[in-house]
Amino acid sequence: MQFGPELWLFAAALGTSLLGGVLGMASGIFIVPLLTMFGRVDIHTAIGASLISVIACSCGSAAPFLKQRLTNIRLAILLETATTSGALCGVFLAGLIPTEYLFFLFALILLLSAQQMLTRRKESAPAQDSYAARRVPLGMILMYGAGLISALLGIGSGVLKIPAMDTALRLPIKVSSATSNFMIGVTAAASAAAYFARGEIATSVAAPIALGSVVGAVLGARVLMGVPAPRLRVMFIGILLLLAAQMLLAAFGINLIGRGS
Amino acid sequence: MINQDELPDQLEQQLGRLLHYGTLAAAAVVAAGLAIAFASDALGLPIATAGIALFILLPVLRVAAMLIFFLRARDYRYGAIAALVLFIILISFFIGAR
Repeated sequence: MQFGPELWLFAAALGTSLLGGVLGMASGIFIVPLLTMFGRVDIHTAIGASLISVIACSCGSAAPFLKQRLTNIRLAILLETATTSGALCGVFLAGLIPTEYLFFLFALILLLSAQQMLTRRKESAPAQDSYAARRVPLGMILMYGAGLISALLGIGSGVLKIPAMDTALRLPIKVSSATSNFMIGVTAAASAAAYFARGEIATSVAAPIALGSVVGAVLGARVLMGVPAPRLRVMFIGILLLLAAQMLLAAFGINLIGRGS
Repeated sequence: MINQDELPDQLEQQLGRLLHYGTLAAAAVVAAGLAIAFASDALGLPIATAGIALFILLPVLRVAAMLIFFLRARDYRYGAIAALVLFIILISFFIGAR
């Protein structure tokens, strides 16, 4: 078999995972746009591969949060009933929604991520040590939506989970980050299981992407702890906006890079 | 009720270990599969596919571990919640396999 593309995929996943780690955000959101635009990969194949990478990143980074007892595992398992239900619904919808709509939805999520990077998260819970989750039913509804979007677009949906936890449940920031990260793996596994059983996860794409994500996450945690983030943050916002624009164009059937010819 | 209350540290340590070593194991299988495929052996890609299946299985094992823990602690409410999550994932798999 030809190995050029696999090396590319590995390197791309490694790079995004590395950068994502520095900024403390999931890199899953970059994988689908990269694959569809530059890799000339079908969007459903890209979504399947991205889900595996999302699982790998969530599981690979969970241990330190658990050790520090930041992850609220009871709240996580409760909210996971909502995220996995949403994912199940997303699996149903994924085959029905036209590809252009998926691109459009993806562009919206990219814009939302850019907006979230721009505005600082505000601490809404008073103290780190004692807190209680509030408005759990509202949180559950938002989590259902996050699971749905995760299954449809192949992303971790941290971008939707974190506001739900910050504003609806009013958890301390570190707790909601750790708990959201913990839940992302199970949510993605719920839809990935269906896509895997359907034979929609292409190993030649998903394997190098997953491996690159793990290596990038490990390196990111070790090497890049001290890199100053503000400039990278600005760069990331720029990339998010560019990708959103490109995904919007793709939604209307225009692709400037890649395909076309 | 949902405070991070009397849960013993042990469960968190165990889940952390499960996820950490599980990720390394799945990544190792994927890497081995890709390496074998690189040596142009037909066996490579199926091995990499098995590694991908391991990745998908890992969060499911984590929920199963929580289920066992809650049942042992006689915390049947959270035991039922964990069982429900497992059940939803299983439904998803069988819908895909249909």
